[in-house]
Formats: sequence, structure tokens, C-alpha cells
Amino acid sequence: MSTDTAARRDRLVQGAVTSPLEVTEDLDVRPGPALLAAHLPDLAAHRRRHGMPAVLDVDGLAALVSAAGMRGRGGAGFPFARKLAAAAAGGRRPVVVVNASEGEPASAKDAALVATAPHLVLDGAAVAARALGAREVHVVLPGDRPRTRALLAAAVAERVATEPRGGLLDGSRLRWQTHIAEPRFVAGQAQAVLELMAGRPNLPVTAWQPEAMAGHRGRPTLLSNAETWAHVGLLACEGLPATLLRGTAEEPGTTLVTVVAPGVRTAVHEVEHGAALRDLLPAHVLGGSVLLGGFHGTWLTADAAADAVLSAARLRAAGTPIGAGVVIAPGPRACLLGLTERITAYLADQSAGRCGPCVNGLPALADAVAGLRRGQPDAAERVARLCGLLPGRGACAHPDGTARLVASLLRAAPGEIAAHARGRCEASVRGAA
Amino acid sequence: MSRLRVDWPACRAHGICHELLPDVVRLDEWGYPIVTGEVEEADRADARAAVKACPRLALRLE
Repeated sequence: MSTDTAARRDRLVQGAVTSPLEVTEDLDVRPGPALLAAHLPDLAAHRRRHGMPAVLDVDGLAALVSAAGMRGRGGAGFPFARKLAAAAAGGRRPVVVVNASEGEPASAKDAALVATAPHLVLDGAAVAARALGAREVHVVLPGDRPRTRALLAAAVAERVATEPRGGLLDGSRLRWQTHIAEPRFVAGQAQAVLELMAGRPNLPVTAWQPEAMAGHRGRPTLLSNAETWAHVGLLACEGLPATLLRGTAEEPGTTLVTVVAPGVRTAVHEVEHGAALRDLLPAHVLGGSVLLGGFHGTWLTADAAADAVLSAARLRAAGTPIGAGVVIAPGPRACLLGLTERITAYLADQSAGRCGPCVNGLPALADAVAGLRRGQPDAAERVARLCGLLPGRGACAHPDGTARLVASLLRAAPGEIAAHARGRCEASVRGAA
Repeated sequence: MSRLRVDWPACRAHGICHELLPDVVRLDEWGYPIVTGEVEEADRADARAAVKACPRLALRLE
């Protein structure tokens, strides 16, 4: 180990830098067309509205999720049918995991979902477990959201008590197990979740194979975000036609979006794919840049934010993926460099401290972004070089996501970066005007 | 064609992979490897040697 790295590791006390946006469970949850259509916290109310989910074999479930164009909602947007097929082809009995850890402080959509319709989430997992022949469903609860943790744990307990077959009619039996994630940014990463389930520290490790092929105890493991499971549950309960009526022909259905703006409560919206981003923003932040996809996301210029459509496919194609649906709208007076500096410092502090490029590269990147904000002449070059150096060199995608955020600042705010280099902050000038 | 993969939590920047395979592995400013491309057929023997020589057993050839 180089002495530099050893010193950094020794100094690394995670949690020293607080998040620029705090976790909150005081949410403004807006009623939506499907997942958030009704407040159904208990199983009886859920069954009255949705009935029992269809009992599907793996081909039936694959056909259903393919026809609905289902992609994962945890951030990566991977096609759910491909993950399902990989887990089914593993040759051993698979394991199903509901990831409700929501490690990103700015995100609140899983918390809103759990407070509104927890049994849709659990139905989705039960349906997939039945289709795959899985006997275990693991539910990962958030470490830093006590109310959400209690609600989801209560929903699991209620289901175990009142529906001994796990919410299925065909006699299969499921064992439900809950785990509590560590309250840190990378705790929800798939390999970190598998470590937690194995009783080891809840931190990312190297995966030589995707978890769908070899995950928990080496078994094929279908691990998905809570919202993904809720969409599966909804499809199994109400069938494909209802989903196809929502959204667009290319991208049916709905998606959950967390909107964070200054001076207002964090809001969670369920929107049909194809909705305009600006329709979700409070009036006082219109005309400003927007950070789309959360702390690992990308900055949109004010013009791009005004035109953006909430289509995962279109946003991915534009190089500004929607991630887990977090929209941070600081408003036209905010200094993007200052906010990015604070987020990057927080993300550097949240490193698990295990991979050299992350342990060294993230603090270096945070320093370089601070230099950019202070107007140091060579900072932009240093930032760009570090952003190119970080991706693909860690056990998890934390360095990749941090580099994505900072690289997007260089693209979206060249005028403000130039203004800082001249010793002026355009945001505050505009704000004063 | 094959590819070198690094077990990042295991790597401690000894840099032996770069010594043995300078065309495929560069080092960053902290001494950690940057795998720049695929391993050509002609370099396979050197790549296997690098995998064996890594004191942290942090390299795989796939």
C-alpha cells in the first residue's frame, strides 16, 4: 500500500461530511394514476382494491414484463425481463430480494411507496418468487428512515401472519426475511446488499458475475428496487391492458419522481411516461438548471430542463439518464458550482474506503471541484482529467456516478465556470438582478 | 482476445502488473492500475504472469 493511501484510509471516518440535502420522511406525496392512486397501508384494504395477483410461471411473467417494457427503477434502468431470464437460467433455486434501502438522501420515492402501497411491492416479489420457484424473499429496509422501516416491516409481518402462503393461491410457501441497511450512500448497491444478507459489512465487493447469475449463497438472485417490484405487483394484479393505457406507446406505464426544491417539502409524484418535467416543478425554481438523477445524476441547463420529457428512453439517449427519478431543482439563483462542490465532498466522504481509485480519486475530485468554484485557473482541466480516470475502476459504480455528476457540470455550466474563473459568480449576479 | 479484470478492494497499488504489461496496464497518480485495453494473443503469457505475480491476487484474466 502506498503511504498516501494508508494515510487516507486511516483518516477515513465516514460521516464527517453531512449531505447537502438531508433525509426527510415528512413528504408531500401526490396522488398518482396507479402506484400512488390510493392509500392502502394494510393488506385487507390492498386486497379489496387489487384482489389477488395472477399466479404466473416464469414464461408468463417474462412475457408480461417484456410487453410492458419494464426496466429497473433503482437507477441503472436494466431491462427487468433480462434479469428475470438470467435468474431463471441459473440452474439452482433462485432468491428474490426487495431493495428498499434508498441510500440516496435526496430520494424519497421508495419511502412514499412504502407509506402508500407496501403490499404492491410485496405482491411483485411474491409473484416473481412463485414464477422462479424461489422460497426466500429478502426485504432490505432503509437504515436512516425509521418510519419507512417500521411500515415495511409491519407490512411483511402482516402478510406472514394473515397469508401463510405469502400472498399466493397455489400452495407454494415463501419465507420472508428482513434486513436493515446501513445509513450510507453505497449501502443499497447490489453487491453491498448481498454482503448484508450474508452477515458481513454492508459494503460493496467485487462481483465476478452479475448477482442474477450468482448472488446470495451463490444462488441466482433477482434483486430489484422496491418501485420495480410494485410495478410487477401491479401488472400481476390488474393485467397488462391497464398499464398499456398509461404513458406512451413506446414507453407504457408510470414512474415515481422525487422533487427537491428549496423552501418546500420534498414531493413525490407518480407520472405517466412522457410527462413534462417542468409540470412537476414549483414556480419559484422555473428558469433554473436541474440536477436530474440525484447525486449520481447529470445537470440539465435551464433550457434543457424547460424542454425535458420524463421518458427514461429519451433521457438515456440524451446522455442524461433519469436514474432513480430524483429531480433536484435549486432554482435560478443557485450557484451550481457551490452545490456540486458540496455534493462531491459528501460523496467522497461516503466512499466505502475499499478501492484505491475511489479512496484517492474522490477526495482529489472534490478538491478540484472546490478549486473550480474558487476560480483556480487550472481547475477545469484537473476536473476533466479526474472524471476520465474514475469510471469502471471500483467494486461498485460510486466513482462512476460521482464522475458523471461532475462531468455534467462542465457541460451544463461553461458560462458559470468561466465567470468563477474571473472571480464572479453569475448565479449571485443574476439573483441580485 | 481476453481482458484483465481487477479486484479493486484487494488491489494495493504494488504496480507489478504495469511492470510486466506496460502496453495494457498504466498506473494512475496513486499507483493504481488503469487497464487500457484487451490483452492481445501475443501478450497472453505476460498477462498470465502478471496474474500470478500480483501479491494481492487481485488480477483475473477473462
